[in-house]
Amino acid sequence: MSPILELRSITKEYRGVPAVKDVDFTLNSQEIHALVGENGAGKSTLTKIIAGAVTPTSGEMLLDGKPAPFKVPKDALVAGIAMVYQENSLVPALTVAQNIFLGQERFFNRMRGVNIAAQQFLQSLNFGVDPTASVGSLGAAQRQMVEIARAVRQKARIIIFDEPTASLTPEEKFHFFGLMRRLKQTGVSIIFISHAIEEAVTHADRITVLRDGAHVLTDTAANLDRNAIIRAMVGRTLSGEIYGVRGAARTLRKAGRKVLSVQNLSMGSMVRNTSFSVFAGQVTGMFGLIGSGRTETAKIISGVIKRDSFHGGEVKLDGRTVRYRVPQPAVRDGIVYVTEDRKLEGFFETMSIGSNVNVGYMATKGGVFSVVNMGQVRRLAKQWIDAIKIRAINGDAKVIELSGGNQQKVVIAKSLVQRPKLIIFDEPTRGVDVGAIVEIHQFINQLADEGLAVIVISSYLPEIMNISDRILVTRQGRVVEEFTARQATEERIMYAAVH
Amino acid sequence: MLRNMIDRFVGRGEAAVTVPPMDGALRPNQALEQAAIAAEARAPDNLVNHRGDILFSTGRELRKLGADSVVHSFDRSITCLAAAPDGHLAVGLSGGEVVIVAPDGAVNSLPAAETSHATALAFHDDALIVCRGSTRHSVDQWKRDLMEAGTSAPGSGSVVLIPRAGPPRVLADGLRWPYGAWSHQGRIIVSESWSHRLLALDPAGGTRPQTVLTDLPGYPARLSAASDGGLWLAVFAPRSQLIEFVLREDGYRRRMLNEIDSDFWIAPTIANGRSFLEPIQGGALKQMGVLKPWAPSRSYGLAIKLAADFEPVMSFHSRADGSRHGTTSVLEQAGLLYVASKGGDVIVSLPAEEFVEP
Repeated sequence: MSPILELRSITKEYRGVPAVKDVDFTLNSQEIHALVGENGAGKSTLTKIIAGAVTPTSGEMLLDGKPAPFKVPKDALVAGIAMVYQENSLVPALTVAQNIFLGQERFFNRMRGVNIAAQQFLQSLNFGVDPTASVGSLGAAQRQMVEIARAVRQKARIIIFDEPTASLTPEEKFHFFGLMRRLKQTGVSIIFISHAIEEAVTHADRITVLRDGAHVLTDTAANLDRNAIIRAMVGRTLSGEIYGVRGAARTLRKAGRKVLSVQNLSMGSMVRNTSFSVFAGQVTGMFGLIGSGRTETAKIISGVIKRDSFHGGEVKLDGRTVRYRVPQPAVRDGIVYVTEDRKLEGFFETMSIGSNVNVGYMATKGGVFSVVNMGQVRRLAKQWIDAIKIRAINGDAKVIELSGGNQQKVVIAKSLVQRPKLIIFDEPTRGVDVGAIVEIHQFINQLADEGLAVIVISSYLPEIMNISDRILVTRQGRVVEEFTARQATEERIMYAAVH
Repeated sequence: MLRNMIDRFVGRGEAAVTVPPMDGALRPNQALEQAAIAAEARAPDNLVNHRGDILFSTGRELRKLGADSVVHSFDRSITCLAAAPDGHLAVGLSGGEVVIVAPDGAVNSLPAAETSHATALAFHDDALIVCRGSTRHSVDQWKRDLMEAGTSAPGSGSVVLIPRAGPPRVLADGLRWPYGAWSHQGRIIVSESWSHRLLALDPAGGTRPQTVLTDLPGYPARLSAASDGGLWLAVFAPRSQLIEFVLREDGYRRRMLNEIDSDFWIAPTIANGRSFLEPIQGGALKQMGVLKPWAPSRSYGLAIKLAADFEPVMSFHSRADGSRHGTTSVLEQAGLLYVASKGGDVIVSLPAEEFVEP
């Protein structure tokens, strides 16, 4: 089979540091090709080169056997290559329908017609998103669906999905992979980046593994298994380190003093009269399906959003009733929230690592007339790059230049510099590679060992079961069940989350 | 004043109708329901260790566990007990004073002015600690005392230290139904039931009472020592949003107290389900395959183990669908925990170690 797309010895350097080096890659017609690798392996850079968003330093790209030196994304789009980016590229102020048709509007547009066309199109993809809803009001999963719909709408021959399933529910993932197969049958070739290795093995025809910007292997999915891929990705087997040690097999931490008591907390229809406690020196896992109110509860606790004005319940921190309207007083009291949507809420992407960490520091110290101390910025950057192993040239590196896992570490550093007593991690390893997952888990465990109260919100059951000392299950806006890590099984947790 | 009005309007601050959750070490289980019966008696109440024997009060009688024998009988109901290491027993009597029963059987009364309405007794060195629940109501009128006090009215209870020689001293007053006392690490630990907390009192009276545990999810009762240096705490009824709401509605409570029999008040109780007239106990819903009462239960059975620093470490429960409610006293002896269920008319025993669901 002749390749529709071929990359020969592609290299891309940033400030002399190669993000990808001498990579060869081929994509066959009507093929689903998975691209896997640790964060910083060069997957996103490679796909951005294909999509014309990044120009390679050297190497050649051939489309249908002819050179295709794309300068801008529009060149790639005209040639039939569309990309669904990991970071959101939607306009939050516009509706779903307007976003889907963005750039393809007629001179005169009738909103009703646009909405109906968008509705039909979304239904054909099995995506339950209201076309008249403002994108800004959508959750991460629904925004991802709109992104996918927009790419499919452009009738591309090659579609690149960067972490398409990171924020989708199991049911939405099922629909997504069905859509991918339908696209393949209509003649579309697909490249998808995923950190869920099972997805690559199950749904891809071929798999390419990158490591440290270099090509490691390409083979048909049938010839590879999970361990072989992990070995290729990180140079060693990590199966035992990630999700290998479940509650029954490890030593659980004893609960310390009660740090947080949430009592009958309510916020609209998302959080409904929920109550739970969090103890020092333990990791409290919070599992629930998307829409079960976990993130909203965490955001109320940390002052990002407000509870109901009337009878909204109480939050007690160390026995003292607290009510935050903005995050800063919560930060000063020792509550920090590590967001699930790091790109939107976690950091300032054009600022350096040091400046981002310093912003977190200033939230606890600074006032209106604070002066940025550049010496302090550099000192904080060095301290935290060393402490949580952020892989960057130096503290002046901009966060946008880092891989997803290292960006997540910057968000964590920005939170930890505030010296919290309670830290809430919302989907801490979403969009993070296996190597970084191990490091982040080790770090979370270390925080609990040091006596901090830690909440980990995750939609991924193996992660919750691996890292938590006790597990709270949420459903329809409230905590409905509590398990110790010893009692928890995937079946029991899922049963509580669904029934 | 203005703040109180706003709080009352929006339901926050003192007016927030919230209840702390039973989770972590207080995660519900069925331990008390599954525990073996050590004795059956009508409304068993206070358990004490008297020279190796376990004595308990039931009505007017003082009985020995396991022997089915009456140790002592009084002309009034027994409200509380304490046993001194030298064999003396202190017994609080309903509507009257505390009496001391010597090892030879001789009975001496203590002055009623300092010991009436005793809800709990404990020995601290040579002195007797007397918890006086309220000066407004007798011990068997506890429900009325709570309903009249609501959530914020100051209490009339007190803790009195009566030395063997010398005048009695009030260690704390204005308390909201002190219902348990124990000498622990040189201090007197008292459970203040209507305020859902434990206080530490200085027996010398030099320092102010210190709150050592607060925000309990129920109404605490008697305390006793755990073998590992911690404490056991009995909790006889749960807090619920419904009762917390009623406790904030003065007019509603006044009418309820005037017009309705006390058995049918929306108030904590030691047992429920004894009459169809009881408020809203009939409804139920099936959740996760288990039939659960939707109406908040007014009674409960709970024994909490506290570490030496008063943090809860484990607990044994009789839940809304159980019957061993109204747990007013807990006693650990020889690796077994004895729990008196006043509402369930039984004393149960179970291993004093962490309960593992079968």
